[in-house]
Amino acid sequence: MRQINDFVSRLGARINLDKNLVVKKQNRYFLLNKNLKRLISKDFFYAGVYLGKTKSGRFFPSFNLLRMIAEEKSNKIIVDGKTEWLFICGRDLFKQGIINVRGSKGKGDHTLILNRHGECLGFGKILCSPDREKEGVVVKNISDIGDFLRREK
Amino acid sequence: MSGKEFFVSRYEELGWKYEDVEQKQAIRINSVNARKADVAKRLESLWIELEKIPFLEDGYWIRKSEFSVGATSEYLLGLYSIQEAAAQIPVTLFTGLKDKIVLDACAAPGGKTVQLADLMQNTGVIIALDVKKRRLIALSNQLERCRVRNAIVYHMDARQASQLKIKFDRILLDVPCSGNFVTDKDWFNKRTIKDVKKNAKLQREILTEAAKVLKDDGEIVYATCSLEPEEDELNIDWAVKNLNLQVEKISCYGEKASTNIFGKQLDNSVENCRRIWPRQTQGFFACKLKKRACTQ
Repeated sequence: MRQINDFVSRLGARINLDKNLVVKKQNRYFLLNKNLKRLISKDFFYAGVYLGKTKSGRFFPSFNLLRMIAEEKSNKIIVDGKTEWLFICGRDLFKQGIINVRGSKGKGDHTLILNRHGECLGFGKILCSPDREKEGVVVKNISDIGDFLRREK
Repeated sequence: MSGKEFFVSRYEELGWKYEDVEQKQAIRINSVNARKADVAKRLESLWIELEKIPFLEDGYWIRKSEFSVGATSEYLLGLYSIQEAAAQIPVTLFTGLKDKIVLDACAAPGGKTVQLADLMQNTGVIIALDVKKRRLIALSNQLERCRVRNAIVYHMDARQASQLKIKFDRILLDVPCSGNFVTDKDWFNKRTIKDVKKNAKLQREILTEAAKVLKDDGEIVYATCSLEPEEDELNIDWAVKNLNLQVEKISCYGEKASTNIFGKQLDNSVENCRRIWPRQTQGFFACKLKKRACTQ
């Protein structure tokens, strides 16, 4: 739970997860609801909302968790259609594709990347403030929904 | 007993003249995640031409696309799933899915599990089983991508479902089957009647277990993408006679099933099943079963 909360706070957000409904299966975390909790047995493979996993002490969020964070006040960058496509292909963000920035613009902070429809595409690390008139990469891609395709390979 | 000639002559005996059918790609909009009109508009802006499937609420055929519909943002965001038209039918046969406890007994890769969650609007609980662990990863990815929140997945053989000690309101039996020639161009060279009979036996075992874990007022939807009557009408006739189940009337795309298979007369209620010969869709078979009411 601490790792999840630490990750969420790096995005400038707070979410309230009921710890009685969060279950850990090996290195993966899932959020249940009361109905699921009533019926689940310990040998499940997947359940409810997958929140993410830990590996070598590091937390890797699921896209469900990113979406939950995106619904709250948090660091967000909204990008145009062309940049959306490049981002989900695993590319970093350049300043030209950014439509709007909300929350932190500080170097080193994490930020969610959203498309024009407000849908969360993934997250990245701010390399330099989008306000600065500078060419080059502004946000380094850490994780994007194109991962669903890459996983299948 | 195998080969194209053998199987095609069986289809003719069942009343269908063989024709080559090209599979049409279809999608199903996940209406819990997005409005149909919005998704259609977004896909059209990507030069993806859609055609509404007349017999499905949320289904569209892909008429034309410059690139894979499995690689758009909208797909990756879970706004729609790629699901063949006939394969979208079985889940729609259930009544009143909201807040129900549903068993998806042979769930991977999860297209119908996601469809169940969509129609349930993420209420109730889906227990999704699959016997192959490798396929559970594909299932889990689908659930995450499509934002399903009401499923529990187990690595379990459907024939052991009673170990869960749960009674289900609804049970989807999209059972492992022999498939059909539309989705597998090499089908006639690969399949023999022995395979068909082996699958039919497994399907009966799964039906038997499902009948055990079904609530008295529950519903089973049984479906295959096989055209072979051993896996379809003959299995349902067997279930009616051995598992205290009855076949419910359904209204969906497809033809009434035959009650006379290769000279064998089946229970009249078997005609309530739907047989879908390949034409606009792949081959398919679906029916809805309920427990027979006890008579004093």
